[in-house]
Amino acid sequence: MSAPSIPNLLSLRGSRGGARGRSRGRGGHPASASSSSSSATRDATIQGTDTDAAVSRMSAVDLGYLQDPFAQFFVQSPAVGVPVRRLPIINRGTYTRTAALDRLVSSFLSGGESGERQIISLGAGTDTRCFKLFSQPTQAGLIYHEIDFPVTVRKKLQLVSSIPSLRAIIPNTKLEGETWSSQQLPNGCQYWCHGLDLRDLLKEDRKSIVGVRTDIPTLLISECCLCYLEVSESSNIIKHFTDRIQSLSVIVYEPIHPNDPFGKQMVSNLAARRIRMPTLDEYTDPHKQEARLRNAGFNSTQSLTIEEIWKKWVTAEEKERVDSLEGLDELEEWNLLAGHYVVAWAWRGKGFEGWERGLG
Amino acid sequence: MSDLDKAIAQLRACRPIPEAQVREVCHKARELLIEEGNVVTVAAPVTICGDIHGQFHDLMELFRVGGDPPDTNYLFMGDFVDRGFYSLESFLLLLCLKVRYPDRMTLIRGNHESRQITTVYGFYDECLRKYGSANVWRYCCDIFDYLALGAIVLGASNTLTPPNDSTPNEDYIEQEIEIEVCNADGDIMSRFTRRNSDHSSGSEQQRSPINGTGAKTGPPGSGASGSSGGTIGNPTGAVLCVHGGLSPLIDTVDKIRLLDRKQEVPHEGAMCDLLWSDPDEIDGWGLSPRGAGFLFGADIVKVFNHRNDLSLIARAHQLVMEGFKEMFDASIVTVWSAPNYCYRCGNVAAVLELSEDPSGEGLFARSNGDVGRSNGMRGVMMENDNGLKSGPARRYRVFQAAPQDSRGMPAKKPVADYFL
Repeated sequence: MSAPSIPNLLSLRGSRGGARGRSRGRGGHPASASSSSSSATRDATIQGTDTDAAVSRMSAVDLGYLQDPFAQFFVQSPAVGVPVRRLPIINRGTYTRTAALDRLVSSFLSGGESGERQIISLGAGTDTRCFKLFSQPTQAGLIYHEIDFPVTVRKKLQLVSSIPSLRAIIPNTKLEGETWSSQQLPNGCQYWCHGLDLRDLLKEDRKSIVGVRTDIPTLLISECCLCYLEVSESSNIIKHFTDRIQSLSVIVYEPIHPNDPFGKQMVSNLAARRIRMPTLDEYTDPHKQEARLRNAGFNSTQSLTIEEIWKKWVTAEEKERVDSLEGLDELEEWNLLAGHYVVAWAWRGKGFEGWERGLG
Repeated sequence: MSDLDKAIAQLRACRPIPEAQVREVCHKARELLIEEGNVVTVAAPVTICGDIHGQFHDLMELFRVGGDPPDTNYLFMGDFVDRGFYSLESFLLLLCLKVRYPDRMTLIRGNHESRQITTVYGFYDECLRKYGSANVWRYCCDIFDYLALGAIVLGASNTLTPPNDSTPNEDYIEQEIEIEVCNADGDIMSRFTRRNSDHSSGSEQQRSPINGTGAKTGPPGSGASGSSGGTIGNPTGAVLCVHGGLSPLIDTVDKIRLLDRKQEVPHEGAMCDLLWSDPDEIDGWGLSPRGAGFLFGADIVKVFNHRNDLSLIARAHQLVMEGFKEMFDASIVTVWSAPNYCYRCGNVAAVLELSEDPSGEGLFARSNGDVGRSNGMRGVMMENDNGLKSGPARRYRVFQAAPQDSRGMPAKKPVADYFL
């Protein structure tokens, strides 16, 4: 079914740019958005959140919020019609979250003296960051680990092996047990993907994760991952890494404020999708998130909500560009939603010392 | 039972009516709306409602709480469609009620009643999904172009009539209740008397927010009685209802009447501003972060109200967690009627009831409908005049989202998106 001719007022409008008279719509191809995971097990539900994130990323890429040539490979094209299009508020959130993580990761990679760096991404799922990083020709000395459920990790291997543009970036993959890797990337880079239930790290007889170095500055990323685990499990998983790696940094991205009216509704809506976030009850605001990281042994901590990141980190020109894509008509709702997500980051040793650099 | 009554019954059951019937209803509605001015005159009593956004089951809850049409005289301030999953049923029901009871139902246009916005925010997709073609969307959009841009409520009383039969009327007249907040069952949650009356015990503290909200939401009617300069018993000034707010291009209500409204909402200009602007704690005018319309401050509202003999502007357009929010010494109020907005925001909703002035003076004392009535003597801020008319007595009925399983909701529950 093709979209009918919708008058595109953008094209009728004169060439006057600026903040006024901006388009709030697009005459593109609307699509019905609906997806829900109804898997029986909780783990499958959590794995489903990765699909959710991938679809949101694709929507943001399709509409021009994000540049990500790899996003398309990680969403299944719908059986009928056009790709899923998220509402503008979700697209802006996906954009802001990605921009925040990109900025912190790049700050980590470029901080201090040059040398090898390691990133360990927990619950990475279909994340495309590794492809974006390794496709930069100047990338050097980066060892990148992703950890997720074995089923997710196998799927990623299948995709990387079968899609030429992914295989070009991560070639010569080698599978051993539930871990696959490509250890001969240019400029001394390595990529590792571990099929592993994070809770297994807490077992007594558990050996260290293969390929993980303990002697180089390392960044641990949890982008909506640890929040699905019990509080003690999530603390002990962080401890697993703080016990082993001296020069360690961390980024945690999670929802907050579960107890105000919006937060209560969020908890209840997520519960209806059988999604539970135990850490949300414990780390209810940015201060508690920072305290969590201090208690875990990081001596420098910072945090910003997604709302603050949009305000403070996104440049005026970028705001202008992003706003012009679809417009966002409901700022109250944006402030509510974006105020309920926090990015907290912390480090000891070499890490984020330079995170403020380049902030206007 | 006429076809129209059948259509209303079917829509009340949240079932879409056939395309041919939509076409017919829209045709009739157009004939009605084309006769309406840009600013419709409405006589109190009236119940003023804010954004609905396709939340059909919550609209049914609104009718339960505010009274069924046509028993209750309703004024909806736009944004019937988009975001919710039942824009089609919600808008068509309101439109059918308009055609069936034209004098008991007033619909004015919101910024979402627009071709361009509905293609982004859901109504277009919904029509396509429910009919397999965009015809119904086109019929509806053509009607949007005919909706009035505002309304003037005349004859509102500055005393309230009781919310139910069990309360004696005398209580209300004696106590000079200016603001009353009721819950969905009609129980009184809080009351505020006029400050200049003998009964006034209304210190600022007692005017604090009713349901434990943060400082951002001003107390309902905070300072309201400071502006109630009129003698008690006098008719109140008129109430202007508009979806968004004021425009720097519009200094009198009459100028709204002169606009050519029968078009898609433009990207700028007076018509756009009326549907897009927001009040804000600033002086004068400011650029709107929405990218359309403007921000306007208390000074703008007060001068506009004075110049136009208004006691209050009622508008919608902005989500307020408590359902309503009075600002600027109660010279403007935001009414929000979509509870748990987008099935995600956790907010309550409200409608605003204005009672009828029993003397009927309010209707005769002015002739708001006439072009040119603001010419002549009327200057801004005349001496010996507080500058502002006494506000009408206001009853807010606050309600929550309809329970999801109580009204035969389809099995598929709305799923709100989050970042996961």
